[in-house]
Amino acid sequence: MSAPVTVYVPRDSAARSVGADEVAARLLEATSRDHVRLVRNGSRGMLWLEPLVEIATSEGRVAYGSVSVDDVDDLLAAGMLAGAEHPKRLGLTDGIEWLSRQSRVTFARVGVVDPLSADDYLAHGGMTGLRRALELTPAEVVAEVTESGLRGRGGAGFPAGVKWQTVLQTEQTPKYICCNADEGDSGTFADRMLMEGDPYTLVEGMLVAAHAVGATEGYVYIRSEYPDAASILSSAIEIAYARGWLGQNVLGSELSLDLFIRIGAGAYICGEETSMLESLEGKRGEIRAKPPIPALAGLFGQPTVVNNVITLAAVPGILSDGGSAYHAYGMERSRGTQVFQLAGNIAHGGIVETAFGITLGELVIGYGGGTISGRPVRAVQVGGPLGAYLPTSSFDLPMDYEAFTAAGAMIGHGGLVVFDDSVDMAQQARFAMEFCAEESCGKCTPCRIGSVRGVEVIDRIIAGEDREANLVLLDDLCEVMTEGSLCAMGGLTPMPVQSALRHFPDDFAKDSPGTRTRPAQLAPEATS
Amino acid sequence: MVRLANDIAAQFRHLPPDEAAADVADHIRRFWDPRMRAELLALADHRQVDLDAGVLAAAELLREGVAR
Amino acid sequence: MTLLKEPDLGTPDRPGEATVEVDIDGQQVFVPEGISVMRAAALAGIEIPKLCATDSMEAFGSCRLCLVEVDGGRGAPASCTTPVAVGMKVKTQTEKLAKLRRGVMELYISDHPLDCLTCPANGDCELQDMSGVVGLRDVRYGYAGENHLDAPTDHSNPYFDFDASKCIVCSRCVRACSEIQGTFALTIDGRGFDSKVAASAGESFMDSECVSCGACVQACPTSTLQERSVIDLGMPTRSVLTTCAYCGVGCSFKAELRGDEVVRMVPYKDGGANEGHSCVKGRFAFGYASHPDRVMKPMMRDSITDPWREVEWDDAIGFVASRMLEIQDKYGLGSIGGITSSRCTNEEVYVVQKMVRAAFGNNNVDTCARVCHSPTGYGLKQTFGTSAGTQDFKSVDQSDVMVVIGANPTDGHPVFASRMKRRLRQGAQLIVVDPRRIDMVRMPHLEAAHHLQLAPGTNVAVINAMAHVVVTEGLVDRDFVAERCEGFEAWESFIARPEHSPEAVEEITRVPAEELRAAARMYAGAQNAAIYYGLGVTEHSQGSTMVMGMANLAMATGSIGREGVGVNPLRGQNNVQGSCDMGSFPHELPGYRHVSDDAVREVFEQVWGRPILEEPGLRIPNMFDAALDGSFRAVFIQGEDIAQSDPNTRHVQAALSAMDLVVVQDLFLNETAKLAHVFLPGTSFLEKDGTFTNAERRINRVRPVMRPKTGKHEWQIICEIAQAMGYKMHYDNTSQIMDEVAATTPTFAGVSFELLDRVGSVQWPCNDKAPVGTPIMHVDGFVRGKGSFVQTAYVPTEERSTRRFPLILTTGRILSQYNVGSQTRRTANVAWHPEDVLEIHPHDAEDRGIRDGDLVSLASRVGETTLHAKIMDRMPVGVVYTTFHHPVTGANVVTTEHSDWATNCPEYKVTAVQVKLHQPAVSTSHSADAAHEPSSVLID
Repeated sequence: MSAPVTVYVPRDSAARSVGADEVAARLLEATSRDHVRLVRNGSRGMLWLEPLVEIATSEGRVAYGSVSVDDVDDLLAAGMLAGAEHPKRLGLTDGIEWLSRQSRVTFARVGVVDPLSADDYLAHGGMTGLRRALELTPAEVVAEVTESGLRGRGGAGFPAGVKWQTVLQTEQTPKYICCNADEGDSGTFADRMLMEGDPYTLVEGMLVAAHAVGATEGYVYIRSEYPDAASILSSAIEIAYARGWLGQNVLGSELSLDLFIRIGAGAYICGEETSMLESLEGKRGEIRAKPPIPALAGLFGQPTVVNNVITLAAVPGILSDGGSAYHAYGMERSRGTQVFQLAGNIAHGGIVETAFGITLGELVIGYGGGTISGRPVRAVQVGGPLGAYLPTSSFDLPMDYEAFTAAGAMIGHGGLVVFDDSVDMAQQARFAMEFCAEESCGKCTPCRIGSVRGVEVIDRIIAGEDREANLVLLDDLCEVMTEGSLCAMGGLTPMPVQSALRHFPDDFAKDSPGTRTRPAQLAPEATS
Repeated sequence: MVRLANDIAAQFRHLPPDEAAADVADHIRRFWDPRMRAELLALADHRQVDLDAGVLAAAELLREGVAR
Repeated sequence: MTLLKEPDLGTPDRPGEATVEVDIDGQQVFVPEGISVMRAAALAGIEIPKLCATDSMEAFGSCRLCLVEVDGGRGAPASCTTPVAVGMKVKTQTEKLAKLRRGVMELYISDHPLDCLTCPANGDCELQDMSGVVGLRDVRYGYAGENHLDAPTDHSNPYFDFDASKCIVCSRCVRACSEIQGTFALTIDGRGFDSKVAASAGESFMDSECVSCGACVQACPTSTLQERSVIDLGMPTRSVLTTCAYCGVGCSFKAELRGDEVVRMVPYKDGGANEGHSCVKGRFAFGYASHPDRVMKPMMRDSITDPWREVEWDDAIGFVASRMLEIQDKYGLGSIGGITSSRCTNEEVYVVQKMVRAAFGNNNVDTCARVCHSPTGYGLKQTFGTSAGTQDFKSVDQSDVMVVIGANPTDGHPVFASRMKRRLRQGAQLIVVDPRRIDMVRMPHLEAAHHLQLAPGTNVAVINAMAHVVVTEGLVDRDFVAERCEGFEAWESFIARPEHSPEAVEEITRVPAEELRAAARMYAGAQNAAIYYGLGVTEHSQGSTMVMGMANLAMATGSIGREGVGVNPLRGQNNVQGSCDMGSFPHELPGYRHVSDDAVREVFEQVWGRPILEEPGLRIPNMFDAALDGSFRAVFIQGEDIAQSDPNTRHVQAALSAMDLVVVQDLFLNETAKLAHVFLPGTSFLEKDGTFTNAERRINRVRPVMRPKTGKHEWQIICEIAQAMGYKMHYDNTSQIMDEVAATTPTFAGVSFELLDRVGSVQWPCNDKAPVGTPIMHVDGFVRGKGSFVQTAYVPTEERSTRRFPLILTTGRILSQYNVGSQTRRTANVAWHPEDVLEIHPHDAEDRGIRDGDLVSLASRVGETTLHAKIMDRMPVGVVYTTFHHPVTGANVVTTEHSDWATNCPEYKVTAVQVKLHQPAVSTSHSADAAHEPSSVLID
């Protein structure tokens, strides 16, 4: 009897949402355990191909997608387990150009490994970063991270090394590592996919951070909408304790770290670091004024590293391959890779991890393949609900923190939401204010009252009431919110509003809603 | 009156009798109105009531003090 | 006269040595390091607009009015949350900032009623002020948008309204409740535009955890939280700085008035004791001063069975004087005496004891402190050398461990409790020693490290056991003891005896030995450990012994003589400290100097021109005994209701009835007045002119807010009685009385009204060595030279449970009421505590078939009373608890004649009782049946 064939069916919730569980169940039903070893891996990030079934063959992993439960019998009959041809056969996974063109650094193991298999993790280079870190002094680890140029991937882009250095230099103990996994931006799912597909990388990243700054406790703050991520990570933590990767004397070293998961309660604002800290302390999720910065007075008033999942997950690689290797990716002051997430009205949505510097157009058209509706792209919102709406004329813009800032936009957490030409940008601007009104913590005045008034003013503009005066008022309001808000929530809400006004002024100039016929948009220049 | 005096004596019972008597007498001298002290001495004279030995010893000291 | 509106620097000070130079609007200023840009600007006289910031609380950064520009910085940071930095250049006024501020204000006003002219806060509204400051001229959003204008008003609290339609969600009230008061009753509910202030879980203020301290009302910048009195009367027009007359914390208040009418009492930010905080009593319960029950004219009668008749002052004074003289003629010099009150000013107390000593010619003067803190006087004098707490309140900010023994600060001393809680939230540890699980054992965000739930009456056994642990586990501060103390070796061998070990006393104290050891180690091991105690220490048969036991423990661990440590009585009444300082005890002249001291007597004889007896006079209980003997026949009682507050009511009433002349000076016809022949109407604190001395020895000015409603100051009445008795006693004003105190009493040598007006308050000793007072005592040496270790043998009380009286009753207070309640019962505070109830453990209740709310009879061997039962497990099995605020309850009907061996302070805290169902309860509702009204009866 020959060894069983390893079959991969993702357990990622995006894959599950399109039937991965049913596919897996059917596969097991239709085959014998002796013949098939089923691995529920993470997603490769090609969401339009989910469920993506992979077969381990002597040539490598062969992909089939997208596979529905009804395809399973047919595929088996065609000899899928041997990697046979089939209309759904995509060839070797590594040969899929969409994937092979990317630079999977942080996501190197996502979709590849069995998420909860510690052995798999080790076999794919896991824990080499931590082992190297433990050979270095904390200051050397911080230096390595600083050299890598890694900036916070949560949205603010603050240099991780500088933050760590601050916490390292603070004498007060205990210190904490808090991982922000309250991924709430529209069109983002990288944190989730990493936690579901390669949770040990996050654990390892937090261990490195703990060693680097002298922290003894870590918290992962996961949004309540991510039950799968929470349960996988919590299993991973349990296994990590059993392996001696967590708790006292990690890997026999002096490092000790206890890791806890905390689940959010559905507030977008808790993705902001100070609100998250309040929430972690069991209080109402409300912004804290800075200073003091969390690095000096964070969780329970103690020195705290707060980093996003992707930031921390990048760290093991930086340690194992060296800061300079990471720094080699990217451009200007945006170094390394960014895990872009393509979403919205897009043909090929998913994870594109690539070096900074790629253009917006290359992502939307080159990777994304334009809209799924087939209509022309009209706008792309980059960086979540508070990011700017960019027109196709901005497709040459390189993905770079500073270039985006200069263009009145931001990269944020790397999410892109694509709209076709049926979008009403005045309604999108209104939605930005409405979103702010819905999700504002209510602490500061510009955000609490301003967002509500913003909706009202935009409504009046759309309705043609005293339009000129109301446009002036909206502009003044945006200035008050941008300059006056306590945190980025209120401060950035004007960005989508003003970018919509700037790039799509006609949408606000309708005489009455719904009567406008849209001028034909130019077809995007770049096509893949 | 008897109870008051006995209560005071009880506090000093852990000391040697001489010391205790001196402390009790001193306390009564410092804090008691003369008419109460006189009454106590009268009670001590008559021995009709159940006065603590410490109080009786203190009464002797008080009497000497008065004589002095 | 103080300013109605005090300057508000926006954010708190950061005390420290270092200063930094910053440039604000081109002005170079040197300011303390660590303060905010806002405060720095305010110090330089530059006011930055603000709404959510106030200098009594940490910066919050929510209103966004205080934005400034900083050279080299990005955007417009909030000046309240931005600390100053060396070389910082700040601009507070630019075109851009003006536009932003106007924009923020425009948002505020788009959701605010435009009823300024009819708003109660008109003229005292920061929103109104700031709107003017930023020059808002137009609200372009209009007023038709989403808003809160229909939000309802919560009228549930008797003293203030919460009008949610006016709320600007600045969170000042919420922060005041947590940061200042530490109750955490208020919160922000909802988020975004729906954010609103909520009491507890969206309840009314009255039903919530709110303790009505008024901090939120004080903090509110608008009319959202507004005193009912301001709503009714309008804004005050002037203010007078004075001192609260309730507990021993001695809070400074601004009495804010319209004409002679007090509109509100506002805690004073620069008040040394309270620093701007208050409690429900001081803040709101001042209405008794104008209560219709107040007697305004002197009254007399020949016999206590006769009705009262109003008389003129001269008649009353003349009558008292002549009767006193007649009685002395007939029964001797020592047949009359006086009792001073801890409610009265130092000056009023001083003249009463002077009247007794000089005009009456005896030492028969005592004070109501007899029944509360006389053991403190004895115990601290014996060990440290003077009768006073060692610390100022602020000291607790440096404490790492606090031991609270027999005190219930959140109810009894709420303003100081808030300070303690603040320090505990910063990480200090708490040890509670109390039979009852007081609130501090477990409260929001705080929990005591140890609660030693001892059996009532076993204090000394517990403190000895703690000392035993210190001595036998090598935790003694040997250097301190060797250098600063005496009597240590004898004490050490005494306390090291095995009978003092926690294990040996566990059975009697019921405190687990391991827990006691842990607490002792925590106390001894702390950098700074402080002891705070109350009447649960003093009102025992070994009250004085316990005070000395605590002093021993503090000395053995070196916990004395610096900030953060000490032994501190929490005084129950506003002027317990002062009335004792002023020579109210029969054995002591002012300044705690024994009457037998020839040199001291000579000082007073010189000034007073009369000889002073060298023998101690009668103490209050001795007066009662002597009255029944027939040798004591007349008494002048200043503002104390001995018939209600002293133990064994029946005995007290019999004694008073036996006297020929009982003169009562009080606000109301109290229980004692029922047995009096002359009633002299007294003045409330709003009319008094003098000083109170609080628990931290702080001498605070009590300034008259109005003329005496009775036509005469109390000190004038005393002087006139003395004059009428043939002793010349005259002062033009009370400042001359204090001058006489200063001239005769070394610890007060430097005190004068002029000094108090200049520096606010001073803590005695105040003299050439300490010209502005002494916050911490015994710093370099003890007052008596060396600290004295006293061997404190545990002697069990004779009051113990028997088959007939199997339970132990102990007593205490509640926040909203004050002592016998004659004042607070005449205010809306009754809303919180309409009657005294008996707390009984579920097991004890079940054994007796008692259900929650049942009317029960409470009987001791001396008396019986009835009250409603409240079943709760705050007390251990076998112990019941009640308060003594309502005369109808007559808790002292059951208390016995047992008392502290050294001072005769009554043993209120331990009475053997039985509790029985009074009658089969028809309903469990308190008020459903008139027959259920509590009552007390005397049994023979």
